[in-house]
Amino acid sequence: MTLLQMKGITKRFDGVVANDGISLSVNSGEIHALMGENGAGKSTLMNILYGLLKPDAGEILVDGKAMDFASPLGAIAAGIGMVHQTFRQFPDLTVWENLVFQNEPRQGPFVSADAARDFVRRLGSRHGLEIDPDSRVRDLAVGIRQRLEILKALSREARILILDEPTAVLTPQERDGLFAAMRELASKGMALILVTHKIPEVIAITDQITVMRDGRVSGTLVTRETNEAEIIRAMVGRNVPPTVASKVTSDARPMLSVKDLSVRKGAVTVVDNVSFDVRPGEIVGIAGVSGNGQPQLISAVMGLESATGVVSLDGHDVSSFSIARRRAAGVSYVPEDRHLTGTAPAASIAENIVFGTHRNAVASNKGFLRKDAIRAQARKLIERFRVKAASEQLPIGSLSGGNMQKVVIAREVEHGSPLIIVEEPTRGVDVGAIEFIHQTLIAERDKGRAILVVSSDLTELLALSDRILVMFEGRINASLTGSDMNEDTVGRWMMGGAETR
Amino acid sequence: MIAAALDTKSRLAAILFSIVAAVVLGGLVVGLTGANPISVYLEIAKGAVLGRGLDETLARSVPLVGMALAAAIALRAGLVNLGGDGQMLIGGLAAALVALYLPVPGVARAVLALAAAICAGGLYAWLAAILQLSLGIPFLIASLLFSYIARGLTSYLVRYPLRDPSTGMPETYRVASGARLPAHILDLPVSMAMVIMAVVAVVIVVNDRSGVNGFEWRMTGLNARFAQYSGVDLSRQTQRVAFLSGALAGLVGALLILGQQYRFTDGALLAPGYTWSGLMAAVLAMASPIATIVTSVFFAALQVGGFSMERALGLPAVLTWVLQALIILCLAARPIFFRKR
Repeated sequence: MTLLQMKGITKRFDGVVANDGISLSVNSGEIHALMGENGAGKSTLMNILYGLLKPDAGEILVDGKAMDFASPLGAIAAGIGMVHQTFRQFPDLTVWENLVFQNEPRQGPFVSADAARDFVRRLGSRHGLEIDPDSRVRDLAVGIRQRLEILKALSREARILILDEPTAVLTPQERDGLFAAMRELASKGMALILVTHKIPEVIAITDQITVMRDGRVSGTLVTRETNEAEIIRAMVGRNVPPTVASKVTSDARPMLSVKDLSVRKGAVTVVDNVSFDVRPGEIVGIAGVSGNGQPQLISAVMGLESATGVVSLDGHDVSSFSIARRRAAGVSYVPEDRHLTGTAPAASIAENIVFGTHRNAVASNKGFLRKDAIRAQARKLIERFRVKAASEQLPIGSLSGGNMQKVVIAREVEHGSPLIIVEEPTRGVDVGAIEFIHQTLIAERDKGRAILVVSSDLTELLALSDRILVMFEGRINASLTGSDMNEDTVGRWMMGGAETR
Repeated sequence: MIAAALDTKSRLAAILFSIVAAVVLGGLVVGLTGANPISVYLEIAKGAVLGRGLDETLARSVPLVGMALAAAIALRAGLVNLGGDGQMLIGGLAAALVALYLPVPGVARAVLALAAAICAGGLYAWLAAILQLSLGIPFLIASLLFSYIARGLTSYLVRYPLRDPSTGMPETYRVASGARLPAHILDLPVSMAMVIMAVVAVVIVVNDRSGVNGFEWRMTGLNARFAQYSGVDLSRQTQRVAFLSGALAGLVGALLILGQQYRFTDGALLAPGYTWSGLMAAVLAMASPIATIVTSVFFAALQVGGFSMERALGLPAVLTWVLQALIILCLAARPIFFRKR
């Protein structure tokens, strides 16, 4: 039975067509994947469905009845729920307070806490998503916080649930839990829409697949009858071979050597006595559930965070160096968040490429910028890294996520440093760009550079790394190579336990 | 290189839109008082450019452009300098002291007085930056509060130790004519103060467009985290930008003392409100130096025209301040006008 139908949805922004006659139909009891590269129009479509945007043309039918949502309130009333990528929760309040917010059971003028707790327990057991109503949200693991987000949607009687990249923050085990919950909800007749980049997930859990490209539907597939290659072709319009890393070993002197590094935040030790080496010609991956000290470790290595212990570059102690001197000593760094740290989004692509090396002789002369040379260099990199940009003068913030990331990686690789540190190389990046970025990193490794990669995407780490270090509660608790580098083993260490072996 | 062409265009549209909206709203205010808005605006326009109006506009532009650029270079680098009053006072006082008491020949005295004002104003702003960097007191707050200290200090000094007892006013002696800045160069209607300010303005514009430092400041203003990540020493840069912003305010104080008022009179530097008009001009120009020069000259013309309109029609010149404020309010309100779903 068709629960949701979107017909001929069209939406333009300043003349750019983000959605061009999109049709999508989801049955009750079905898990439906919505796939596509960044900028393909998935978010626009989902925002229209959730009442955040108004379509220029087309109609939405729920249970066969035409809907016209003025705001998300209308969508919620029609039984549509959305689990956002970033949780919309009050971390300092308890689970039940978060769940009944704006819908509080009352006793006279007061909120009835008992009724609210009872409501949470009943809701949880009805859907097989049990949760302790009295836990403080900030103390919960990410997987449980996501469960709370789902329960919030269910508490408004959602029958159609949109999940936007729900696995980005989860461990493999948490992900499996989420998938079980999703199957359970589908078996009760709900319709689920899974927005994702990750092909293995789609194959594992969904029934139908809608693929978008350039604002149009480029493929409507039945999961049982399709395969990875077909999905990729629909997404990027060509065949992308899966990344294969040729594993090399190296006995050379470490390019980066970290010894007994600790970072303390107040009374909490967020990085606890970490030691490791990265050698020329190898890619070392750092795995770990987010919140186990990975960003602080990298900040300490880069000199952005005060730490105890020793950081050496090519045998020289740089522990007392500022970030500028560490960069000059031979480190390039691609930060986790390209909007917050990696670029100035309002500045042009050329400015973002040159910044950091603008005092070099190529880019400036006696304190004045050589604008022509800067622009020529930018054009060169745009071409070499196949960045889709009409001009190097455009604000870098106007590029899609994948192209923006390519610019950041191009800039850092171009510095020619012997050590490259990359955080989340392909977060929020489309399949085509992921492939390109991986090939770039592997090519740099093969040129003899030492590369340290931190990623929350385990598939990526497994594909890229010659060695994987697992961080748990601020420590490195495992260094895995060869056949130990598989999803199960790494996943177990990410949960902290050798004892579970 | 400079940001994006598209952006500049929409910015310009926003600025023009706010000015038009403010003129309409201001006209309504005038209309409410029973006067004819058209004749009021006509008098303002005539007063700003006709006859002696043009000279007066140019003269008023010197301190206004200076204070506006002082605000703009800080804003450009992500710092809000609300302490222009204090930096101007300290600079003006330093200039007056050197010009009055340093025993060197006249021209050297003028040059040293300017240098002293630049250093004093710069250091005064730098102190506020140090408070931000070492104690976490926001520069915006510290620089603003430092103005009250400067007011109290200069007021005390010119009332007691430095006072010229021959006048009835709380003010210093007059600066000797040899140490003053000439009001006319080669009998042209161009003062030495104008020349100095023009040179400063050109340096600031060139540095912003092509200078390595200007590039670093602008990128810091756009995203300080990115600047730090790219190797900019934010602490050193904050100190430097604060110093330069304060130095320019101090220079304005000196130009007013040595080129116009010839003595430090309590309250005289602050009465015309250059700091605040300058800040508004910089905000209106969204901190772009070239645009800041245009908007501050525009405000100077508006103010001069306002005085002339007051003489001609008997309506208070304060109206031009209302207009300035309305322009900024309309600019701030723009996102709501243009919001779209």
